[in-house]
Amino acid sequence: MTDDKDVLRDVWFGRIPTCFTLYQDEITEREAEPYYLLLPRISYLTLVTDKVKKHFQKVMRQEEVSEIWFEYEGTPLKWHYPIGLLFDLHASNTALPWSITVHFKNFPEKDLLHCHSKDVIEAHFMACIKEADALKHKSQVINEMQKKDHKQLWMGLQNDKFEQFWAINRKLMEYPPEDNGFRYIPFRIYQATTERPFIQKLFRPIASGGQLHTLGDLLKDACPSAITPEDGEQKTQVMIHGIEPMLETPIQWLSEHMSYPDNFLHISIIPRPTD
Amino acid sequence: VSCSMAGEEDFFLEEKRFKQYCEDFVKHSQQIGDGWEWRTSKDLGDGYLSKTHFQVRNRHIPPDLKEENNDNTEHTLFAHVEEPLDDSQAAGVCSTAEVIRYEYHVLYSSSYQVPVLYFRACFLDGRPLTLDEIWGSVHASYQARLQEGPWDTITQQEHPILGQPFFVLHPCRTNEFMSAVLSGSQKRHRHTNYIILWLSTVGPVVGLNLPLSYAKLAPEQSTNTDSV
Repeated sequence: MTDDKDVLRDVWFGRIPTCFTLYQDEITEREAEPYYLLLPRISYLTLVTDKVKKHFQKVMRQEEVSEIWFEYEGTPLKWHYPIGLLFDLHASNTALPWSITVHFKNFPEKDLLHCHSKDVIEAHFMACIKEADALKHKSQVINEMQKKDHKQLWMGLQNDKFEQFWAINRKLMEYPPEDNGFRYIPFRIYQATTERPFIQKLFRPIASGGQLHTLGDLLKDACPSAITPEDGEQKTQVMIHGIEPMLETPIQWLSEHMSYPDNFLHISIIPRPTD
Repeated sequence: VSCSMAGEEDFFLEEKRFKQYCEDFVKHSQQIGDGWEWRTSKDLGDGYLSKTHFQVRNRHIPPDLKEENNDNTEHTLFAHVEEPLDDSQAAGVCSTAEVIRYEYHVLYSSSYQVPVLYFRACFLDGRPLTLDEIWGSVHASYQARLQEGPWDTITQQEHPILGQPFFVLHPCRTNEFMSAVLSGSQKRHRHTNYIILWLSTVGPVVGLNLPLSYAKLAPEQSTNTDSV
C-alpha cells in the first residue's frame, strides 16, 4: 500500500514533455530550432522557461523582442495557472510532446496578465497561498508565520526543492485536533468551454453529521453538470494532476495530498475521449 | 506584513447582505445619475457592480517601485507626452493632460467574505495602463502605504467572472484601510450600507469618489437586512 507521503512526491515531481516552437511570423535572422523541455506540472510557465527565451532570442534582433507569451492551438496560455492545470485542461488527451508556440510580439492584453519579472510570479503565488489559508484556517496559520517562512515556500517552488517547501507547507496542512479537517476546502473547477474562468465557492470537508465529504459531493454542489451523465453516458472526465481520482475520495484527503503548491485543488472538467 | 483576519465581526460580510447592499446602492446611484449598475452572470447568478468613467489627468512620472529597472515603461511614458493629441481627444485640454477610461467592478470574495474592487484603465486609443502607471496614479495620500508593499496592495489579476486582466485592490489591505472607519461602536454602523462605507474609503485610493449624497442613505430607506 503506497504511503500517503509518496503521493506528495509524485505530485511534486510530475513532468510534461514539451516542444516549444517559435511563432512563424516572428522575425528571425536565421531559422529557429524547436526547443524541448520537461516542464514541472506544479510550476508556472514564466518561472521555468528562461532557457526557452534565451534559445529563441539568440536568433532574433533585440528590437523584435518584447514580452514573451505562450499559446497552444490558438489559445493564449495563462502563465498564472500552474502548468499541469493548463495541460490537463487543454491538451491532456493529445499526443506528447505538448506543442507550445512561443511569441515575442502582439501581447494579448485582453487575455493575459503581464509578467515582467519573477516578483510578479512570487506575488501571485503568495496571494494564492494566503487565500487558501483564509479558507482553511481563517488566515491564522499563514499570519503566524514569519516572512522568512513565506520566502521559503517561494524559494522551494522556484528551486524545485521538495523538502524545503514541505518543511513549511506541512503547517498549512494541519488542523486543530478537535476538528476533522479544514474549515473550507480551497478549490477551483475549470472548464475550457465557459467564459467564467473557474468555479470557486465555500465548501466544508466535513458534513454536519461528521461524515467526510467526497470529491463527488463537491462536484454535485459546485458543478453538477460534471457528473450528471447525459443520456446515461458520462461525457466528461474529472482530472487532477493528470489522473481521474475516484469520486468517493474524501475531499479533505485530496486537499492535503493533491493540492498544488499554492494550496489549491485545481480541478479540470474535460471532454471524455471517444475512442 | 500580517493581514488582519477577514473573519472578525467588524469586516465580514455575507454574500446575501452584499447583494442587498448593492441593490440599495444601485437604486441611489440611479436617483442621482452616478452611473452604477448591477450585472448578473448568466451561468451561476452571481454578479457585480459596474461603473465606467473618464478621467483627465496631468502627466506625472510615477515613483520607481521596482528593484529592477523596467526600461520599457519609462520610454512609453515619454513617447506618449511627445505625441500630439488629436483634436477629438484634446478639445480644451492642456497638451500634457490625457484622458483615461476607468472601469470599476465591485465583486464579492467568498474566501475573505468582503467586497473587492477590480478596475481597469486605458487611454482613449485603447492602450491599457501598465501596473507602474496604475501605482503612479494612486492618490498622493496613499503613496507611502503603497510603497511599503506594492505587491500586497494593487496587482493585476484575472477577473473571476469575466476571465480578463483587471487590477485589484487586495482585500487584506482593505481591512487595514477600513479599520479606521469601523473601529468604535458597531451599533452605529449596523444599519449603514457596508458597500457605501467601504467604497467611500477604498475608492479614492484608485481614483473613485462617491458623491456625498450616498451618506444620506438613511436606515429606513435601505432594506432592513437584519430580517434576512
